[in-house]
Amino acid sequence: MKNGLLILLLATSLFAKEAVLPSELSAWKALSYVGSAKNPQELPNATLTLNTASLVGLVPTPKIQYVARPTNEGGSVSYGGMFQLTLKESGLYRVVLANASWIEMVKDAKGSQSVAHSHGPDYSGIRKMVDYALEAGTYTLQLSAGADTTSAILVTKLK
Amino acid sequence: MTRTIITIAIGLLAAQSALQARSPQMSAERKAQIELGRRLFYEADLSINGTMSCATCHEQRRAFADGNQVHPGALDDPGKRNVPGLANIGAFKNLTWAHNRLSGLAEQSLMPMRGTDPVEMGMNGHEAEIGKRLGQNECYQKLFLRAFPKEKGSIHIGTVSRALESFQKTFISYDSLYDRVSKKNLPLPTKEARAGEKLFFGAAKCNTCHSAPLFSDDDFHDVQPKNPQPENRIQDYGLSDVTGNLKDKNFFRTPSLRNAALTAPYWHDGSAKTLADAIRKHDLKINRTLNHQEIDDLIAFIDVLSDTTFVNNPEYAKPAKECTY
Repeated sequence: MKNGLLILLLATSLFAKEAVLPSELSAWKALSYVGSAKNPQELPNATLTLNTASLVGLVPTPKIQYVARPTNEGGSVSYGGMFQLTLKESGLYRVVLANASWIEMVKDAKGSQSVAHSHGPDYSGIRKMVDYALEAGTYTLQLSAGADTTSAILVTKLK
Repeated sequence: MTRTIITIAIGLLAAQSALQARSPQMSAERKAQIELGRRLFYEADLSINGTMSCATCHEQRRAFADGNQVHPGALDDPGKRNVPGLANIGAFKNLTWAHNRLSGLAEQSLMPMRGTDPVEMGMNGHEAEIGKRLGQNECYQKLFLRAFPKEKGSIHIGTVSRALESFQKTFISYDSLYDRVSKKNLPLPTKEARAGEKLFFGAAKCNTCHSAPLFSDDDFHDVQPKNPQPENRIQDYGLSDVTGNLKDKNFFRTPSLRNAALTAPYWHDGSAKTLADAIRKHDLKINRTLNHQEIDDLIAFIDVLSDTTFVNNPEYAKPAKECTY
């Protein structure tokens, strides 16, 4: 029985379809853990690094005091969190997420309007990708209305 | 002459809608239901995992449609149909893309909340959870009591759906550029829009189904695209899935063209990315194909049906988080 399970696992890993990721998403696979901030004071301890994928921990929505009220706040049974991210130069940036949480990039208490959104490549584990044209500066990345307690996330510069 | 008739019709319809929605004589109960409905429209606790509210798909800035081909449900089930806009929705007898048996917007709101084809907000079998979640919120306790005093403020899916209906009935959109120039009996400002108007009500016969003033005849038609649906999409036979009558197969309700420029993509399955694509999908039965200029003219006309007052009306926006009671 145990051997059968091992063979099954081996076969699954051997024949599992590998996602073909474009170069801008090459950092998607290696994940480091980052806990989320529940309020603005905790943001310095919840820092994301550009071009580095992270597994982020999310918390129940009622515990979160967002910097800016999210467009889709999520209900009492949903999850979310906040993160800090510093961009050294202006450009087009992509937020890549493994779950369907609502994403907002906030600076000076105002959310940036997204310019494009899309799905990830097949079998990549990427649920959504949202692009923003952003100025240099420190942003609060807000995730809201999520269904899960964790998610993988990557912020990458497109051009 | 056509313009004059339409202007009178718009005036009557707008006045009637406004009276029904927000008359000075409106009861305090009705006002409270609208206010409650507005808060509920943006309430994600109406979905199984708290991830979706009505407004997740019905965004005001897009005339209460959504920019996706279809929208997946709260549990990631694939969407079935393109999200329709909600302008003047209270004036429609038939609701959704293909249903002729709904008693009104209250019953319609149950479809996304607890429907299973497809699963959208995922509350089927979990309806009692709505009362539990909202009942813990002091603001909702007060709002439900004001809105439904005869029912002692009972919080359940029935009162939720009635409040949502009251709010959606206030979605009145008769302040487009087309409405404004029509009221003053002026021509449309660009030659493309004027040519489009002539074509719309004339040779292209768009008005046959997209009848003014709603720019929908509120009826069902078979205007299926000629190219077959991809195999991985959900099979959708439209009205016949409701009536069981084969004669209704592939019949879908005419969408209103008011604010259509803001509601891309188009078609019941969202398969038309642009207005030009949507126009080309029609078999116009006018013995010729529209040329590029004619399509551009029609788009210019549809563009003047956009109502920025409607999409910016603060009375439809997400209410303040703080409870006013």
